[in-house]
Amino acid sequence: MLLPVSSDAQLARRTVQLATGSLARRKLSQKVAFVFLWLAGFLVVAALVWIIGYVMVQGVRVINLEFLTTRPAGGVSGEGGISTTIVTTLYLVVLTIVIATPLGVGAAVYLVEYAEETERESRLVSYLIAIARTGIEILAGVPSIIFGLFGFALFVSAMKLKFSLLSAGLSGACLILPVIIRTSEEALLAVPRSYREGSLALGATKWQTTVGVVLPAAMPGIITGVILSVGRIIAETAIFWVTLGGSYRLPASLLSSGRSMALHVYMLASETRAFEKAMGTAAILIMTIVMLNLIINYTSRRFAARMMGKSR
Amino acid sequence: MREPDSAPGMTAGGRQLPASSHQTGRPLFVTIVAILLVAVAIGAIVGGILLSVPAGEGALGSLQVRLGVRSEEGMQYSLQILLAAIILAGLSALLAWGMWTLQNWARTAVILLLGAIGLYYGLTVMFDAAGQIFGGEQVVPVGTILRIAFSGLFGVVATGLIPGAIIYALIRLDAHFEESPGQRAFIDRCIRHLLLATALSAVLIVFLIILFTLAEAWEAIEEIGLNTMLLGTIWRPGSIIGAEDARFGLVPMIVGSILATFGAIVLGVPLSIGTAILLAEIAPSLVREIMRPAVELLAGIPSVVYGLFGMVVLAPLIRKIEVPYNTGFGLLNASIVLAVMILPTVTNIAEDAIRAVPRHYKEGSLALGATHWQTIRDVILPAARSGIIAAIILGIGRALGETMAVIMVIGNSIAIPKPLTNNPLTLFLSSARTLTGNIAVEINYAAGAHRSALFFTGVLLFLMILLVNSLARYLMRERLSS
Repeated sequence: MLLPVSSDAQLARRTVQLATGSLARRKLSQKVAFVFLWLAGFLVVAALVWIIGYVMVQGVRVINLEFLTTRPAGGVSGEGGISTTIVTTLYLVVLTIVIATPLGVGAAVYLVEYAEETERESRLVSYLIAIARTGIEILAGVPSIIFGLFGFALFVSAMKLKFSLLSAGLSGACLILPVIIRTSEEALLAVPRSYREGSLALGATKWQTTVGVVLPAAMPGIITGVILSVGRIIAETAIFWVTLGGSYRLPASLLSSGRSMALHVYMLASETRAFEKAMGTAAILIMTIVMLNLIINYTSRRFAARMMGKSR
Repeated sequence: MREPDSAPGMTAGGRQLPASSHQTGRPLFVTIVAILLVAVAIGAIVGGILLSVPAGEGALGSLQVRLGVRSEEGMQYSLQILLAAIILAGLSALLAWGMWTLQNWARTAVILLLGAIGLYYGLTVMFDAAGQIFGGEQVVPVGTILRIAFSGLFGVVATGLIPGAIIYALIRLDAHFEESPGQRAFIDRCIRHLLLATALSAVLIVFLIILFTLAEAWEAIEEIGLNTMLLGTIWRPGSIIGAEDARFGLVPMIVGSILATFGAIVLGVPLSIGTAILLAEIAPSLVREIMRPAVELLAGIPSVVYGLFGMVVLAPLIRKIEVPYNTGFGLLNASIVLAVMILPTVTNIAEDAIRAVPRHYKEGSLALGATHWQTIRDVILPAARSGIIAAIILGIGRALGETMAVIMVIGNSIAIPKPLTNNPLTLFLSSARTLTGNIAVEINYAAGAHRSALFFTGVLLFLMILLVNSLARYLMRERLSS
């Protein structure tokens, strides 16, 4: 055969060579291989069920109204409930989302809606955009302890915000910024081109089109990203271990120290060995995460269905 | 969005309508807002002068003392107060003029200003109410919660009514405000630059991270030296033993990180790739529908929960292996926990890579008589090779960077891990410490050179992760371009 040497052709040739063993042997090897693959999948699900099941069963024993409404006892006793840690976690979620969402959505809007035409106009801007994309990719891979160190150096020490909600919120916002940018970018890209063209044809400016047409259409996708980040913040520990201080009292202002639920789990387990209470808090955390995942599944599915339906 | 028929200069039936909405008159409401702003400007000037000029002993004098602008030594900050008052008055006067002449920018500014004040006020009320409800030992009873919530709500409504009404009315009065084409273009340009700035925020953060960790690590690099830290095998921070005897060798942590990551890859990657193949090629859609959320959930579970599980469940299990000095906490425990934690990352990216293999590869292979497994093994997996390698490398990055779960289960000893007995496999039962763990365990009480050395640990970790991730990105990009 005189085919050009492409990867397709090479692969095909290789298959011809391989498909020469006896049929029974090949079928047997397929069976064995598939058993192993199913085993792998089963093990993954089993690990999930084991971890969640164990924590839930152990945790539910501790959880009652008193556990939820009492604040943790200080010191190393490990007694008390988790009331203040729930509120602190909520504070952190609100704070990080409020800081990161405008930045993240703005960045996504620029990269999707504006970048292409501005790139053509000026070479400087096109360099800046390339740098911005690289920066987002790097930021997405930075481990959370580095964000913690950074927050410790900049917010806690240099800006003298001390161990506080604000330091922790600012550091946490850095963690979720790339998440929000990426999901918003995807959501904006999924909005059909005809939407924009229709709006521009009616005489709206670029900005009016973006705010009035594109963003509302992409909103469910953006919200999915925000919920994803909420989950990241609830689960985050390393950053808050380094920047939040860990006081068991309720933060009285943005500049006072606190303790999130995840941080509480760590401090209970590592410092006081109060495993039952830690399991109870962990169970609450898992329930929250499961709920958030269900919401994400629902919204992202609806968004996908809507975009599919409308682009037709 | 503005309705088309409210745009100025619209023609109806060939007759030119009044060219501008000015002719419809200035709404009373806008007049009130403008007068309010003028009042603010006059108040700022008067107040600024009264507060910054020394007064006698009367009411004004005591107010000055109470506000802290006057003390025994005389007036303080009087220049600053005067300056602030003049700036405030100027800005309010400018806004008042803008509102009077129905400029759109003034309307936007007033709305944003009132919104900011409302946000600040809302935050104060929230902290106050939360402090009353959750601040004590015990959450207050439901009746009290309702009372606090009600009074808080009442306060918000009572004080927010006027600004809220102004904002609402201003938004409704859209048609009255002028927006010249020049202004429109100007705002469009401003927004463009503002958005570019937000797009650059991620780079700024990366830059600041590098700047600040390097700056903090500089002391260690200068005083302790790169060689000592990168090649030293003893970590003995001065704040524990006494400064003159402090040693800052990072080799134990580097070895610990590499071994824990290696263990995680050995345990986790076969499972992940197997699951990815299962999900992409073999499993019926019902199984997929169940397994994919399960894998996503694994990614969402907080790392402390994995750590807790490792402490409470895995450690006693591992302790059953009969080897002297086996505590259950060590590299094996950390490797298992990390293996589960990297599962979602590796599985998702590997599955994407397998799915991205063109359909006709598979069809061609099947048509030639290969079994499904042969097709997977000899056609699909080789074609998806670079994507799968990228997935594994990203898994390595994730394992290297994981902190809290690891410090809960690895034992955190500062010696280089050694096999516990003659059997080299017992190496994995030995306690160790990772680079991430080194930072997290000690940063909260470190000072001086010790603290700086911990920041250097961070720099090292950052560089390793950067290297690993850019390798993965390169491979993924190669896959996309081929």
